[in-house]
Amino acid sequence: MALPQRKTDIGPPNFEQFLPPVIKKNYGKWKYHEVLTPGTMVHVAESGDKLWTVRVASPRLIATDTIREHCDIAEKYCDGHLRYTTRNNVEFLVSDESKLEPLKKDLTARGFKMGGIGYGISNIVHTQGWVHCHSAATDASGLVKSMMDELYEYFESKRLPNKLRLAVACCVNMCGAVHCSDIAIVAVHTKIPTIAHANFKNMCELPTVIGSCPTRAISPDTAQKSVKINPEKCMFCGNCFTVCPPMSIKDPERDGIAIVVGGKVSTLRTNPKFSKLVIPYISNEPPRWPKVVAAVKHIVEVYAANARKHERVGEWIERVGWERFFSLTGIDFTFHSIDDFTFMRDTLRTSPAFKW
Amino acid sequence: MKKYNTPLIDDLEKGPWPSFVTEMKKAAKNNEMANDALGHLEKCYSTKVGYWKHGGIVGVLGYGGGVIGRYSELGEEFPGVAHFHTVRLNQPSGFFYTSKALKEICDIWDKYGSGLTNMHGSTGDVVLLGCRTESLEAVFAEYSSRGWDLGSSGSALRTPSCCVGPARCEWANYDTLGLNYALTQEFQDEMHRPSFSYKFKFKLSGCACDCVASLARSDMSIIGTWKGNIVIDQAEVKNYAKNGMDINAEIVNMCPTQCISYDGKEMKIDNAECNRCMHCIAKMTKALKPSGEKGATICIGSKAPIVVGSLLSWVIVPFIKLEPPYTELKDLIRKIWDWWDENAKPRERIGEVIEMKGMRSFLEYIGVPPMPQQIKEPRKDPFMFYTEDDIASFKTKEAEEKKTGKYKF
Amino acid sequence: METAELQDKIFAFVQAAQGKKKLKEKDIINGMNAETGIDKDVVKKAMRGMIDVGRLMYSYGGGASSVEIPSEEYLREKGLIK
Ligand code: HEM
Ligand code: HEM
Ligand code: HEM
Ligand code: HEM
Ligand code: SF4
Ligand code: SF4
Ligand code: SF4
Ligand code: SF4
Repeated sequence: MALPQRKTDIGPPNFEQFLPPVIKKNYGKWKYHEVLTPGTMVHVAESGDKLWTVRVASPRLIATDTIREHCDIAEKYCDGHLRYTTRNNVEFLVSDESKLEPLKKDLTARGFKMGGIGYGISNIVHTQGWVHCHSAATDASGLVKSMMDELYEYFESKRLPNKLRLAVACCVNMCGAVHCSDIAIVAVHTKIPTIAHANFKNMCELPTVIGSCPTRAISPDTAQKSVKINPEKCMFCGNCFTVCPPMSIKDPERDGIAIVVGGKVSTLRTNPKFSKLVIPYISNEPPRWPKVVAAVKHIVEVYAANARKHERVGEWIERVGWERFFSLTGIDFTFHSIDDFTFMRDTLRTSPAFKW
Repeated sequence: MKKYNTPLIDDLEKGPWPSFVTEMKKAAKNNEMANDALGHLEKCYSTKVGYWKHGGIVGVLGYGGGVIGRYSELGEEFPGVAHFHTVRLNQPSGFFYTSKALKEICDIWDKYGSGLTNMHGSTGDVVLLGCRTESLEAVFAEYSSRGWDLGSSGSALRTPSCCVGPARCEWANYDTLGLNYALTQEFQDEMHRPSFSYKFKFKLSGCACDCVASLARSDMSIIGTWKGNIVIDQAEVKNYAKNGMDINAEIVNMCPTQCISYDGKEMKIDNAECNRCMHCIAKMTKALKPSGEKGATICIGSKAPIVVGSLLSWVIVPFIKLEPPYTELKDLIRKIWDWWDENAKPRERIGEVIEMKGMRSFLEYIGVPPMPQQIKEPRKDPFMFYTEDDIASFKTKEAEEKKTGKYKF
Repeated sequence: METAELQDKIFAFVQAAQGKKKLKEKDIINGMNAETGIDKDVVKKAMRGMIDVGRLMYSYGGGASSVEIPSEEYLREKGLIK
């Protein structure tokens, strides 16, 4: 069969054709919204029009048949209109209140999970992992599934002092915004790259490789027409592997997981913050990563028990102090949490006022 | 079709959260590629390493991005993932769809690819996972003839994305969806034909809640804000109090600038002292509403840790009005790219170049004056440059003072 | 200069760098401009013309995009040679 004629540089379709009529009519004229349950909210326009949103969990990695099922539901209750969220949930948009309860019933019957709105835990932003990336030190989708199974009640019903944003990055490149999450998982490599010297000169550019190393650990190895790595300086970032595939950094027994906490991106109350390292290493244990999951759940629970209403994790920790965070959670404080890289000057304590 | 035994990932079908393994199996029922992807993933779980190679030179004719090349080292064992390239389709602003449009996307993808997708990738694109090299031109022809273009990858402008904004949010200070669409259309060439030193991302949030995390993950973060007062509906304030909100504890005491007061009856805001953090508005949306001039703050430079540490975006232009055709913003963007292009080494993001060359060089080039809104605090060291022009302008100012008899610091 | 002649020069420029340096669009545009004095926008247009028909192609590696001479395999896949 002949292919249709390709077109270039047309860009995406104009979003306006996809907006439900109630949104077109009230575009930019919304007055307020109310969270009705963790899975539903209603937006009310200045005109008095109302729009109900039902938010449904998604693993992000979905089959076309599941998208078709989303479509069928949208056709039945929403005149064919739906959207996805930045955190990869699905949202059904209802303009006719009489369809709201039947929609929810149908979703429940089909096994879809509603939740993620307001002061709880929404879907986990994550990267590709073993499903699709060459750089991965672990799998992202499996970690997300394991964590959300354990934290599920915070998605569906149980409430926290504020929202709690989780993220997973499957290597230190940290695609996505994991470095500003309330709790994030970062997979780490922990051994210096091995170098397949024979392939080096065919696959890599010497100056690029030397320049790629942030700690200047790499120098030429003229005898082998390759490079060598100073083990004292390498901190396993994998940047050389990115620019030079023969410098393999993967190691099944040594790759592991680090946990960082206390980041946020909004400016509500306090400035945006990076997440900070609190647990430097947990072994990589697919398919369920039990220790990682337990650590995250523990931190969530300590936060829930100690934070004041509206405090995000980072705000709570800044109020009580990091020394108190470590004592409340019982997490061992290690050298890894003391910055010896670019942020040392900003992160060491310069006053004798602290808590025991 | 080969049947794989997958005990490890099967475990991930249990539990309340929807399972990506179930999804992969669903696709695998009638798709050989998805089936091999399952077997391949089980192998990763059993050995604890990945087997994807570093991509490859794949794409559609004339474009330099939009397809992520992916080959497996285990192509013989799992022929269905020997090629498993990702096609990035440019999403509509705000991720709004009709069922008709989505079904069309699915039908084409089932015909050529694995039937697996990400809705959406962290970049914002619709991510179609797993397709062979020889199908790429056909996939592109099918999609583009129906109005869907590829997103971006490589050293190029990456697919812009935005929050839901005025479509369904009362806090949007500008039309995030409209601007997102306008920028995507304006810069098609920069998206599809990589001519930059490295990637460049725009992310657009309608207010400081920053629902797309633009401040943390875009080279240019465009965050909505306003210049007028917060209008208070005192009757609604009463309702919040009646419904159990402790306004003093939850709002007044949590205001970072301590500019709110509440005497149990009436709420007052000293608007000149408000820094527009959004806390009170987000908690009392029925009672509080920004008013006056609407626009955005432009911040530059955020990136993940590679290579020498992560950056959050820095405030560059404290306030800009954003109305179609957005000429001022587009001009600013072109100037920023010019400066970056001139000064960047390969693989240097703009934030890193600003660190190297200095904020002054950057601001002077793009024509933005220094303002205290750009900094958290002034410099702490006395090691600064004085140009001849700087001294001359200080001297001129002093000469002026001698004439008027009044100091102007 | 005729476009065809300029394109031959661009091709020779890319050929000379093959295996030594990964050229970005900018390197080619600036290089040709320095060599021939031809306006950068003209060079860019001529180069894009070559990429559109598969005489040159965008490549990706080392974490960044570059412009290269396509392999036979690529041309065959695109149906440009048999
Ligand atoms: C040298 C550093 C980096 C490398 C080697 C790298 C590598 C990759 C690769 C290979 C993918 C594609 C995964 C796949 O589909 O197979 C990817 C996706 C992505 N990258 Fe990176 N990346 C790097 C840095 C960054 C940084 C600094 C950011 C953002 C600040 C970023 C943001 C993203 C995003 C958003 C995606 C899409 C992820 C998804 O949707 O799953 N990357 N990256
Ligand atoms: C080139 C660098 C510096 C020079 C030449 C310098 C020189 C001096 C001199 C001449 C004095 C007065 C001594 C006296 O007669 O009592 C002094 C005092 C002092 N300097 Fe520095 N200093 C330098 C850097 C610093 C730095 C970096 C610090 C702190 C971080 C510092 C902290 C102090 C303090 C606290 C005093 C005592 C002030 C006082 O007694 O009130 N100095 N310095
Ligand atoms: C040429 C270089 C420097 C000279 C001549 C110098 C001189 C002095 C003098 C004279 C004092 C006062 C001592 C006193 O209390 O009688 C002092 C104090 C001090 N200087 Fe420096 N200084 C120099 C560089 C530095 C540098 C580079 C630092 C730190 C980065 C520094 C930190 C201090 C501190 C912390 C004190 C003590 C302040 C205190 O007693 O509270 N100085 N310096
Ligand atoms: C040799 C060193 C290699 C490096 C540095 C590398 C690194 C990367 C990086 C950094 C990304 C994500 C890029 C981004 O998000 O900015 C990526 C994905 C990708 N890789 Fe590799 N990889 C390598 C090998 C290759 C090779 C040899 C090719 C092809 C010649 C290739 C093709 C790709 C492609 C096409 C993507 C998707 C483009 C993108 O999203 O930027 N890779 N790889
Ligand atoms: S975080 Fe690392 S492993 Fe994960 S998708 Fe990004 S580059 Fe790949
Ligand atoms: S892993 Fe990172 S630190 Fe180690 S040699 Fe490679 S680039 Fe340098
Ligand atoms: S960033 Fe602000 S305007 Fe945009 S959706 Fe979030 S709260 Fe609304
Ligand atoms: S927006 Fe923030 S700073 Fe302004 S009044 Fe409200 S809480 Fe205070």
